[in-house]
Amino acid sequence: MVISVLEIPIILRVIGSALLCLGAFAALVSAIGFHRFKNFYLRLHAATIGSIWGSVYPLVGSAILAITVEELGVYRWFVAGASIVAAFIVLILAPAGSHALARGVHKAKVARVKPCIADKLDPELCG
Amino acid sequence: MELILIVMFIYAIAILLLSIIALKGPTIGDQVLAIDVLTYISLVLFTLLSIYLKQPLLIVLVIPLAFWVYSLDIYIAKYLEHGDLGA
Repeated sequence: MVISVLEIPIILRVIGSALLCLGAFAALVSAIGFHRFKNFYLRLHAATIGSIWGSVYPLVGSAILAITVEELGVYRWFVAGASIVAAFIVLILAPAGSHALARGVHKAKVARVKPCIADKLDPELCG
Repeated sequence: MELILIVMFIYAIAILLLSIIALKGPTIGDQVLAIDVLTYISLVLFTLLSIYLKQPLLIVLVIPLAFWVYSLDIYIAKYLEHGDLGA
């Protein structure tokens, strides 16, 4: 089976649209999870879904989708490159930021560790 | 292009739900975490808006916004840990 050159934009558009749909679903799940979870440390899980599945994958998908949009002219490569760079920045900085925030909240005793078996860092916060 | 509109609508609903937590969340950690996710999601919204409206200059917003929200994380974490920013 040989793929002709004319079919390449269609394939790229399908891949980009699939990544965008995945990202929209993950963003909605993350926003609902923020309301359903009871605790700051449990909400970190919803934040992870929203940052990686809800932002990195759709940014890559929109970069792939922007390549096929002919109306943007030469600037479609600009849009695609900026999207890839933004996806890489979010991939590196989002886990580091939420880790620093969780460490600060735990050290400042702002939120209690609610479903708790053992907390060796600070036993007062347990339970 | 219709799919981009539908995806943008779902992202707008997610941003509305997150902004409720960002305004009234139980502790300051929840508020900052909600602002994080809200900003990461609005990056995608800006990118899709620049593709939908055929305006490439809108994409310039995206990269400074990602750095801004990381600096917000670090500032709040340092403030909670030490009591002042020291800078």
